[in-house]
Amino acid sequence: MRLGLSAKFTITVLVILLCTMAANTLYFLGTSTRFHEQQLLERGRALGRLVSLISPEAILGFDFLLLNDYTREVSSQPDVVYGVIVTPQGVPISSHVDTTDAFIKKRLRDGKSADVTQLIQKREGAEDLIRLEFPITHNDVLLGRFLVGISRDSLQSQLRRQVLIQALVMSAIVLFLSAAIYGAFRYNVLFPIRRLIAASGEVGRGRYTAVEVKSADELGQLARAFNAMAEEVKEEQAKLHRQANFDSLTGLPNRMMAFDRINLEIHRARRSGQRFAVLFIDLDNFKSVNDTLGHAVGDELLTAIGARLQESLREADTVARLGGDEFLILVPDVVSEVEVEKIAERMLQSVSEPRELNGRKVVIHCSVGIAIYPDNGDSVETLMANADNAMYQAKAAQEGSAIFFTEEMNIRLRERMQMEQDLNLAIDLGQLALHFQPIVDTSGPRHRGAEALLRWYHPDKGLISPAEFIPLAEATGQIVGIGDWVLEQACRSWRAWQDSGLNPGFLAINVSRVQFRKRFSKRLAELMANYRIPPHALEIEITESVLLDDHQQVIEELNSLRAAGVKLALDDFGTGYSSLSYLKRFKFDVLKIDRSFVAGLPGNPDDVSLVKAILAMANGLDLRVLAEGVETHAQLDFLAAQDCDFVQGYLIAKPMSEDAYGGYLKNRLANGDAASFTVIHQKRTRGSI
Amino acid sequence: MTTRAFAGIKSNLMRLACALVMAALAPRVLAQEPLVLGVFPRYNASETTTRYTPLAEHLSAHVGRQVVLQTSRDFVSFWRGVEERRYDIVQYNQYHYIRSAKNYQVIAHNKEFGKSTMAGAVYVRKDSGINNLAQLRGRTVLFGGGEDAMISYIVPVYMMLQAGVKKDQFTSQFAVTPINSVIGVFRKQADAAGSADNALGQPLIKNAINTDELTALAVSEQLLQLPWAVKRTMPAQLREAIRSSLVDLENSEAGKSVLKTALLTGIGKADDKDYDAHRKMVRAVMGPL
Repeated sequence: MRLGLSAKFTITVLVILLCTMAANTLYFLGTSTRFHEQQLLERGRALGRLVSLISPEAILGFDFLLLNDYTREVSSQPDVVYGVIVTPQGVPISSHVDTTDAFIKKRLRDGKSADVTQLIQKREGAEDLIRLEFPITHNDVLLGRFLVGISRDSLQSQLRRQVLIQALVMSAIVLFLSAAIYGAFRYNVLFPIRRLIAASGEVGRGRYTAVEVKSADELGQLARAFNAMAEEVKEEQAKLHRQANFDSLTGLPNRMMAFDRINLEIHRARRSGQRFAVLFIDLDNFKSVNDTLGHAVGDELLTAIGARLQESLREADTVARLGGDEFLILVPDVVSEVEVEKIAERMLQSVSEPRELNGRKVVIHCSVGIAIYPDNGDSVETLMANADNAMYQAKAAQEGSAIFFTEEMNIRLRERMQMEQDLNLAIDLGQLALHFQPIVDTSGPRHRGAEALLRWYHPDKGLISPAEFIPLAEATGQIVGIGDWVLEQACRSWRAWQDSGLNPGFLAINVSRVQFRKRFSKRLAELMANYRIPPHALEIEITESVLLDDHQQVIEELNSLRAAGVKLALDDFGTGYSSLSYLKRFKFDVLKIDRSFVAGLPGNPDDVSLVKAILAMANGLDLRVLAEGVETHAQLDFLAAQDCDFVQGYLIAKPMSEDAYGGYLKNRLANGDAASFTVIHQKRTRGSI
Repeated sequence: MTTRAFAGIKSNLMRLACALVMAALAPRVLAQEPLVLGVFPRYNASETTTRYTPLAEHLSAHVGRQVVLQTSRDFVSFWRGVEERRYDIVQYNQYHYIRSAKNYQVIAHNKEFGKSTMAGAVYVRKDSGINNLAQLRGRTVLFGGGEDAMISYIVPVYMMLQAGVKKDQFTSQFAVTPINSVIGVFRKQADAAGSADNALGQPLIKNAINTDELTALAVSEQLLQLPWAVKRTMPAQLREAIRSSLVDLENSEAGKSVLKTALLTGIGKADDKDYDAHRKMVRAVMGPL
């Protein structure tokens, strides 16, 4: 049973009052009983002493009538049941019994013996009787004894009456006091508490209500504290509302509010039959701004872009920052796509305007994906997803562009998702395989090693290009597992060839930036130990993107690899930032010239200049250079003429399966290193790696 | 003898004559003094006053002389008054009268409980095993009053003497009243009680004890009740006036009221010879008078 505060308080008060009153009554009754009993005894003693004082004369004179008068007189006193004078031998010579005594009256009524002696004997057995005895002496000679029996009966009935009256009075007092205390409690405590409860409920429902402070006592203090708390809650709620709905950096509505706004707009548009557009904006390469200029500048840029976007729009439009470098624009009451396209273009221009940040001129572009309600979705989630999808398509197609969502995008997206699912199972189902493309000296037929290349044989789609699924694997994080598989597979193969006496040379293994972050060097050391791979037998290829990450961590990993004796190659050099500072900061062994530059050799002057510059720089930095994608003798000749160290490409050998590569190695051993070349340029050699 | 001498003798004779006349008139003056009524302390002084004052007033009214009630603190002082003849009218017991008969003459007797006579009796408890007076030899006998109590002591002792039990063969104890002596036996404070023959019938006793447990061992002959006596020197006319005043009390309502107050049912005439039987018993118990 759940008791309210008032019930608990009332019960407590009642119990306390009852206990107090009961204790008081018991004490009073105890005291009263003792007092009255003492009175009885005193009265009995007084009577006894008087009779014992006046009786000797009558005893000596055998004046039994007078003695009878004495005993009768004594017995007629209140509470005295009998008075008996006995001789020293105990023979009663005068006795009188109060026949109004209840006990005696009952015995007489029951027809039992009326003999005084017997009556007294029976009466003395009762618990309520006080028996007193007084010697009667004359000149120190014992003449007899006076016995007095005093009944507590009237005392007890008086006490019972008193208890009853006391109980009634006590009950009345308890009721009165309880009612008074409850009333005072109800007025002074309960009402204020109920007001506080009601106010708390209101605050809980988000309606701030101040409680009237009527007193300066603890409840008044509580009410004041409550008001202060409610005020703080109100402010905190407002703050939370801001935090929950607005982006703290730009002050723009955040993702949650953007969703709310779109939801409201959906309801509104559904009623009015109008259309609206959701523009998903993502800044292109914003990460490089953060990395190169610092996060503070990045934040400043985001704030400026947010403000610029807001300035470029109508008041009815909503600009929200979804997080990171993503913005969303909600354009209600859209009449035509053209109108939206114009807005998107305005946004692109607005974002692309150069800005002076931290003393540096910064230009950034953005990609915009557009979804129209209800054409591209009738829910917040669908519209957002489709706009996002369109944005990715825009980014993939051409950064700094805006694209409307189409159903084809979804199809591509679904395909991508399917590929992601299939990739999850690819290792387990044995669909992945390593191919090996030999690497040789440019100056001669000497075999140096091979690059391990990943292949995915899809049961339905056939061979899927790494260029197609590696970015997906990197985006989904699957590259970590796949990379590890590649690494182990390469080590295992190398060990097998080595154990077969095929002298496989080194294996160049591509490592993703994602994989590189996961304590790659440690894992490689484990595998090298497991498969007894000498350090010079491995060459780790990384792209410049790896170097864009946390420098300290990258340096530590690279140092660990170098300390282990593993060679490092910078892959696809020339396609990315090609920052010379990387080459200076990080110690590489080999630079790999991307096949796109090799393809134009030796006819394309730009490619020629570029390759020459790379080779000159590498020479200056004491780096070996490997040219990828060598497919013609002209290319090979050119590269040989320019002192390129190693070549790789179809001209030398196409990528081949593990078995095929094993056969290639066997064949090479049988025929000597030159067997696989048709053209050999004798340039200069730098010695072996 | 000279004239002067004769005149002197004449003067002296005149003085003598006056003295004689005055002397003759003196007794008449004395006779007008209040008569003193003495009542033996059967009750205490205040009760005696309450009970006998109406009777004294009655006598005053009928005798022509003021009658003054004189109470006594105890028997000793009362008896001293008797011996000193301080009482003109006296009411006491038979033994008192017999002892004072030289100076006092009985004129009436009490009627109590409707009777002019009363007998002495000896009571014992029925469960005492005593069946005759002779068995009281060596026992304790509780008498009412004292040794001068006629009915409660002298008569019971006389009966015991008659039964052959001498005074030194039993122990005498005395209760303040005859009724108490009977209660004393009931209460086993003595083996026998000397009292009046009507004792057990008295309400006072019936209320105090269960009289069924007692029995009268012996009852004497009937003896005239308590006497009223006057001084033998009292003039006969006055004596008769007092006697008739007392005897006539039961003939009028006022007189009955007076008697009732005095706890009497009447007063009858009595002469000295009416107490000869008493006198014989007194002599036997108390010795020569």
